[in-house]
Amino acid sequence: MTATLQRFAAAYARSLVAYAIVAVLWITASILIAGFGAYAHLRYIVELAAVIGLVGIGQTIAVIGGGIDLSVSAIITVTAIILPLVSFDADATGLGAIALALVVAAGIGAVNGLGIGYLGLPPLIMTLAMATILQGLLVLIAGGSAISVSNASLDWLGSTHVLTISVSIILWAIVAGVCLFWLHGTRSGSLIFAIGTSPVVSKLSGVPIRRLTLATYVISGVCAGLAGLLLLSMNGQGYVGIGDPYLLSSIAAVVLGGTPILGGKGSYLGTIAGAVLLVTMTALITVINASEGWRSLMLGGLILGMLPLSGRDQSR
Amino acid sequence: MAGRGARLYWAIQWRRNDGLGALFLVLAVFAVVYAVLFHGIFAIGAASKFVQGWFPTAMVAAAQTIVMLTGGIDLSVGPMVSLGSVVAASSMDGPLGVFGGVLSVLVLGAVVGAIVGVFVAIGRYPAIIVTLALSFVLRGVALLIMPRPGGFVPPLLSDFLAGVHPTTAILLLLLVIIWKLYQATPLGLGLIAAGDNAEGAYRSGVSVTAARMCAYVVSSVLQALAGLYMAAKTGSGDPLIGEPMTLAAISAAVLGGVGFLGGQGTMRGALAGSLLMSILISVMFFLRLPLVAQYIVQGLIIIVTVALPLIRVWWRRTA
Amino acid sequence: MGVQNAVLGAHNVSKAFFGNPVLREVSIQLAAGRIHALLGENGAGKSTLINLLSGTLAPDSGEILVDGRPVTALTPREAHDLGIAVVQQELSLASHLSIAENIGLGAYTRRGGLVDYGRLAAAVAEIGKELGLVESPDTPVGRLPLGRRQIVEIAKALYIKPRILIFDEPTSSLAAPDVALLMRLVRRLRDRGVAILYISHRLNEILDFCDYVTVLKDGSVTADRPLAGLDPTGLVRLMVGRDPRNLFLPYASQSTGALVLETKDFRAAAAVGIDFELYHGEILGVGGLVGHGQEDFMMGLCGAIPAKADHFRIFVDGEAVRSAPFASVAEANARGVAYIPADRRKEGLLLPHSIDFNLLLPLFASRSVERRRGAEESAITERLAQRLNIRGDRRRPAQALSGGNQQKVAVAKWLPLEPSVLLLNDPTRGVDVDTKREIYLALRAMAAEGKAVVLLSTDTPELVHLCDRVMVFHKGGVAATLPHAQASEEAIVAVAMGVQKAPALRGEAV
Repeated sequence: MTATLQRFAAAYARSLVAYAIVAVLWITASILIAGFGAYAHLRYIVELAAVIGLVGIGQTIAVIGGGIDLSVSAIITVTAIILPLVSFDADATGLGAIALALVVAAGIGAVNGLGIGYLGLPPLIMTLAMATILQGLLVLIAGGSAISVSNASLDWLGSTHVLTISVSIILWAIVAGVCLFWLHGTRSGSLIFAIGTSPVVSKLSGVPIRRLTLATYVISGVCAGLAGLLLLSMNGQGYVGIGDPYLLSSIAAVVLGGTPILGGKGSYLGTIAGAVLLVTMTALITVINASEGWRSLMLGGLILGMLPLSGRDQSR
Repeated sequence: MAGRGARLYWAIQWRRNDGLGALFLVLAVFAVVYAVLFHGIFAIGAASKFVQGWFPTAMVAAAQTIVMLTGGIDLSVGPMVSLGSVVAASSMDGPLGVFGGVLSVLVLGAVVGAIVGVFVAIGRYPAIIVTLALSFVLRGVALLIMPRPGGFVPPLLSDFLAGVHPTTAILLLLLVIIWKLYQATPLGLGLIAAGDNAEGAYRSGVSVTAARMCAYVVSSVLQALAGLYMAAKTGSGDPLIGEPMTLAAISAAVLGGVGFLGGQGTMRGALAGSLLMSILISVMFFLRLPLVAQYIVQGLIIIVTVALPLIRVWWRRTA
Repeated sequence: MGVQNAVLGAHNVSKAFFGNPVLREVSIQLAAGRIHALLGENGAGKSTLINLLSGTLAPDSGEILVDGRPVTALTPREAHDLGIAVVQQELSLASHLSIAENIGLGAYTRRGGLVDYGRLAAAVAEIGKELGLVESPDTPVGRLPLGRRQIVEIAKALYIKPRILIFDEPTSSLAAPDVALLMRLVRRLRDRGVAILYISHRLNEILDFCDYVTVLKDGSVTADRPLAGLDPTGLVRLMVGRDPRNLFLPYASQSTGALVLETKDFRAAAAVGIDFELYHGEILGVGGLVGHGQEDFMMGLCGAIPAKADHFRIFVDGEAVRSAPFASVAEANARGVAYIPADRRKEGLLLPHSIDFNLLLPLFASRSVERRRGAEESAITERLAQRLNIRGDRRRPAQALSGGNQQKVAVAKWLPLEPSVLLLNDPTRGVDVDTKREIYLALRAMAAEGKAVVLLSTDTPELVHLCDRVMVFHKGGVAATLPHAQASEEAIVAVAMGVQKAPALRGEAV
């Protein structure tokens, strides 16, 4: 057990900076801005971060494995829009519809995984193409209108608090815990790091690359699906484009958390901090009434500024 | 001496067509289909309109190809084009008019390209994340300068670039000629060598850093100019007009055989790819296929193009 | 001769990588019109020295001198300007550019800002004639086989009309007629006054036409003298520092005669029509000139590349358990076949990861549905480290190890899987003498346990002294399988080169 904790700590060291920045921002903002430091407000920030955090799980695993998933925003939207379409009357709790929606998300991820793992398509291309195709299909299905949904489980998810902690945050914590355990506490999780460092060495060492790649992108799809459902529970309705901001946010969270974009190293721990950092920044920008333009600019600047931490391309 | 040099040069150029046969064939087929479907396409008016629609895609495909040849990628193409259009439309109002506008856009491109170059060529950070972050920054700047489409482009310029005459076609030709000249310089060849075998190029005395830096600057200038063109065509600047162009640029380059690892691919391939995409979109538009079909087709094209050679290799291995 | 008269020289240069010293206060002087040999075991520091002399790397201490004057921070570009050209094993060509464009790369003459293709064409034609480069100059270099690309690499070095020419194993991938051509060319250059530094393993080549020799051993210069009066044994003694026969243990067969693998008409890439049997406890050597199918054979056997065979059997406890070649490395591993690749840095190890993780990788890969258990894993890696004498903190990245220790990790990582067949591809390349011995001992121990070892080696003495039988490849097939008694160095080389002659028995003069 202590060895697992040791590995944990090693990964944690890299993401320390992101946590430090979050801490500094929170403390400073609480002092300077009335109400910022209120428990309800900070909890709200974490709730919002949960969406990015969930997408970030799949993205982190994909990136550590040397790939990337550019279709997450599309999957979020698909899940959010499809839920009302797969709801059926006999499903009182709404869990049936949720399960079906997640199956669809997993299926999309599986197609990505098959193309990348078995056909050898570059992840950038496969997931980008998938995103494009999904965009087209989405417009076909939902057009421009918003689709409201009533799902008992989702309503419960969006509004309940257990011991003053939102269920959504608990959900994030549980899924995050599973992810962290898998990456740092199991052999197959460790193999993801190997694949990201060198697919050639991994293949010659007998690593089941194709299976693990498929798993990676299915997980990414499911996590994006979960994020979509979470969004739906917060918004009450799904519409085309609901997932769009989350693609770049998920990648930003991964990078800000200290995981190098080329893979082989890193940890989801950092992504958690990255997600919270992103939402904190957005909150701050909203408070000072800055426009969309400023938000975008500062986000990009932040990533560029954090680059020295996440690593360079070592080759000449 | 000159004769010999010319013979060698053209022989090399001919060899660089290897592997593009299929693409050119498909392109020819679709061009014929297009011409058959829409007689009158060769009339100067319709032809000009088509080239004007194709030109921005061709420009960004060229820009992306230059970067990909060095082994990098540029995910900020879209926002750069938007920013170019915004800067163009806001600076032509000033005292220097069109000239000032063009100058501003050129400077914009050069500066942004230099910034990317510093991070990627000198700092050696992965291009994918640098340009991703940059796309945020450029988007923000464009929105700050011009939150909504607006600005001013003198009708003279619009007419010159986007009117009923072959100016755009000539510009495209100019682009190709300038690229061929660039590629025939030590810096241009060094660029391909640097992408193909960076360590080897360094040992040969090529300045890999300079070659990459140059590539990013030239690429960004082209993107900014594409933005200028868009502004002239639409008559105003738009901070979001370039959004779909990142994907279009990558698709065209990939279609044209440009590889992600560097050194592989040709400008003619990328331009052919962009032309094919333009034709396909026009055909779909005229056949009244919904916009969604375009997206789906575009996505499928990308997958098939990349998958085809891989499938062929896999087939041969297991057969 | 003093440093002052040298056209190019190094004075007390030292260089270390990740804390491992590779060169210790090495000095060398190259004179015009002299062919200077640089000898040394794999891993002795020769390639690093060349990199220092040509500006690709900078020394940690010491000086590089050109015409007696120190140059600080030499870059490859400056080196070219000073007339220094290098032909290295790792090619510096751009595979998508044409032959002509590659030859002039980095040194194009300009005409009005553009590359002067006329001058280029003329120069390429001239150099091509000297080198027998018959391919059309517009051919993309990636289309050429390795041997021809090496010729282009040499042409590239000649393009800048160098005063100093450094060759790093130029003949390793060349066919025989090209080797002869190269020898003639090098002599011509010497006569023209070019200073030549020549690295080669082929002692006969060295003795044939080199005038002077510097010997590197473990990063230091152990000899620096004219070649007059030296014979092959003398040379080897300088390189190895001891009688070469002490490197190997006395031969003793441990083959049990029980079949572990057999195949008929095995085909994989360039290897065809291979009939092959492997017995428990045997060390089977695989020899041949580079690129004659032996590597494809190994990689086909372990499932790394697709392979077919009319007949294929793996035996576990006497039972045949498999009837077709492996479709993947994982399958092969599951059946007890392990492959250790030739390039340990790019294929064998995850350099940025810890030694521990590298040692555990195949185990994790084969049994991946399990939790990580720190104590158990430490015990495993501790046992492996002891068995193969891997010392030091195993949490360090594998990058920090010397070549020899890296090779030990690359071999050790397979042991937890308890393979019955070990396929090793040139395991002692780039490895220092002491580690070589350790590896030989380890291989012997594994054979004693009943494992079957297949050893592909470009180091013929290894094949001669260690192996029970040697399969010699020629043009994609097995030209002959020599039993230990007939596997002399001359015999192996003769078969490898396709010479139809009865091999001499061990001990007989040829």
